[in-house]
Amino acid sequence: MSDNILARAGKMHGDKIECREKYKAQLEIKTHRDYVLNLLTWLKSERYVHLSFMSCIDWIEENEFELVWHVFSYESKNHILVKTRLNREKPWMHTAINIWPHVQPYEQEIHEMFGVYFPGNPDLSGLFLHNWLDLPPLRKDFIAKDYSLALYTTDALGLTPPFDDIDIVEITAEESRDGE
Amino acid sequence: MEMDNLYLANLREEKQNMWGGLVNYFRKRSMWMLYYCTGCGAIELPPTMTSRYDMERLGMGPMATPRQADLLLITGYLSVKTLKRVIWSYEQMQEPKYVVGFGSCPINGGIYWDAYPVINHLEAFIPVDMSIAGCMPRPQAIIDAFEKLMGEIQEGKAIGYKRYEKHYDWYKKNQDAVLGRTEAVLKPWNDPFASNPSVDELMALEKGESNV
Repeated sequence: MSDNILARAGKMHGDKIECREKYKAQLEIKTHRDYVLNLLTWLKSERYVHLSFMSCIDWIEENEFELVWHVFSYESKNHILVKTRLNREKPWMHTAINIWPHVQPYEQEIHEMFGVYFPGNPDLSGLFLHNWLDLPPLRKDFIAKDYSLALYTTDALGLTPPFDDIDIVEITAEESRDGE
Repeated sequence: MEMDNLYLANLREEKQNMWGGLVNYFRKRSMWMLYYCTGCGAIELPPTMTSRYDMERLGMGPMATPRQADLLLITGYLSVKTLKRVIWSYEQMQEPKYVVGFGSCPINGGIYWDAYPVINHLEAFIPVDMSIAGCMPRPQAIIDAFEKLMGEIQEGKAIGYKRYEKHYDWYKKNQDAVLGRTEAVLKPWNDPFASNPSVDELMALEKGESNV
């Protein structure tokens, strides 16, 4: 870490965070849900100005969701993963929209795909799914195969049409145009 | 039964019209296509169109809008959201119109058969005149399919648009089953935050829970 961010983070935040150097230029910081915004604000003031991405992971066996913010610095070229865990039954997270406005569609997508709620985000309407009424599809307890079998298969749709025009019938010589 | 068969009816109609065969000849020789680049198949079209395989020698060319096109190409997998747009485009096209499905995905879902947003059988929603198997089909296969389609147009066999008109209720039923659902397919989703609570309310709720 060229800018010594690991040591400075430990000094600044103490036991509120849990730091680990994953790779030469990649740092992982785990923290509590209510401390994430403090940490992100501090990182932004430490020249980590770019939020590359935000994602969500479903740890169904631990009954938790994990949110990850990917933060990058153009000066030290380091990549920091800020991670936090949420209860899977009632997952909600403070919105980071006041730190990075462009986090809005990421939160909107996570809300649509996992059902994580972001109070303060002005628009959590549907983004990609059409007329969706089932479980959010990227949750592990949503079985995509069963969904596909129940909706798109020949049994579900009745693919065999109630008409026989699809079969080209044998043509007699008098019907055929060649017979003219 | 024979009277109900659209193909025979079409043939008889064409026979009564002295220009039937001639019109078909010109139709097959000037097909303008609207390619719906839904999936990976679109990448096979540039080599088919440009000098190596040269689609234009068959009288085919790209067209900008559905209202001026004769041929709709579904190049690859179709998601539910795209299906709606495909149906709109198809219904805007003027008759006679033909549909070609590229690759395995419009036939049976291909490698996306168990994915939640991808439909499996295109022919349940709009009539498909020609399907090209493969993932993806090479330009040779595409040219071959177009030549076969031209043959079918000449013979009066490519009558998907008439089938759509005659059996519209069946197609519409399938379209509505996928696009106009009113209830959940597997398990309805009860959003615990449906009332849009604020942060303060949520914090108070969690504190109350932890005290209990």
